[in-house]
Amino acid sequence: MSTLAALNFQNAASPLMEQLIFFHDHSMTILILIITIVSYNIISTYTNTNIDQHMLESQPLELFWTIVPSFILVFIGLPSIRLLYLLDEVYQPSITIKTIGHQWYWSYEYSDFLNLEFDSYMIPSNESTNSNFRLLDVDNRTVIPFNTQVRTLISAADVLHSWTVPALGVKADAVPGRLNQV
Amino acid sequence: MALLRVIPRKATPSVFMQQVARLHNIERDKIGNREVVGWGINGMYSYVDHIAFPMPAIRFKENSPEIMALKEREKGDWKKLSVEDKKALYRASFCQTYSEMRAPDGRWKSITGWVLFGISCSFWIYIWEKLFVYPPMPDTITNIEKRQAQLKRMIDIRVDPIDGLSSKWDYENNRWKK
Repeated sequence: MSTLAALNFQNAASPLMEQLIFFHDHSMTILILIITIVSYNIISTYTNTNIDQHMLESQPLELFWTIVPSFILVFIGLPSIRLLYLLDEVYQPSITIKTIGHQWYWSYEYSDFLNLEFDSYMIPSNESTNSNFRLLDVDNRTVIPFNTQVRTLISAADVLHSWTVPALGVKADAVPGRLNQV
Repeated sequence: MALLRVIPRKATPSVFMQQVARLHNIERDKIGNREVVGWGINGMYSYVDHIAFPMPAIRFKENSPEIMALKEREKGDWKKLSVEDKKALYRASFCQTYSEMRAPDGRWKSITGWVLFGISCSFWIYIWEKLFVYPPMPDTITNIEKRQAQLKRMIDIRVDPIDGLSSKWDYENNRWKK
């Protein structure tokens, strides 16, 4: 879960989330590089007291600063595409959990071996104990086995909802009348 | 621009120069007795002190008999001109020297003052919000026992075990890592 005043991602609980964090770090490196270069240019232009009123254009310079960013974008785009397709890879899941969104609780169904269905309501703040996380804890928790492939089918009963586990790097909209697989 | 022809015609150089000549005739009335000495910034008869444009289109002062006499003496030997004469000749053509143009004007003081004023205004608005707008913080944050219970639970469920919270707890010795 998120710690207080956290700005970064939660630690990854699945390999996909780990890859997402790595991609985020990689893109952030390139972005900081670009911002440093651009801010250096801005500051040096601003503090430069020389004046040349005939400095109007330079075709080689424009060619350079059009082609180099395209290379930088390729550096960002290739890992991005790889990750995009990696996220949609389908393996052999060991268990299937159905998640249905209602107003305003989730209901879960584990139908593989036993027919297990339960509703998961948030614990209101006035009923919570000392160690309950405010607005996060629920009465019946969803238990997912560790180190296994899990398929989650997400849908909704009334309006649009969205189901996410940030540490696993999954988020999918719960659309009534539609099954989304994660 | 009523003087420009309404019927469009090809913008040849002669057409352009005719239009410029018409504008110049209007401008000559505006500049008075001042002499036109060049192209300036854009060809219009204006005087501007700018460090990028050292030679404005017109002289700064109108031609007076004293200045005309000085200009006659300027055609001779410059060593015979005194420093005051040379300064008068300069000021006849120009308003400011380069040093005066580049001189610091102290605007940064008022700019800094207004910026700090704006920052302090937003600070006061924030204080007003804390006092009158925001509801009190929930007791899960203000109550220290609840915070400690939550922290213990977060450590027990191994929140952020890689480089976050639980990675800093020594599980064998039940204390924070040194």
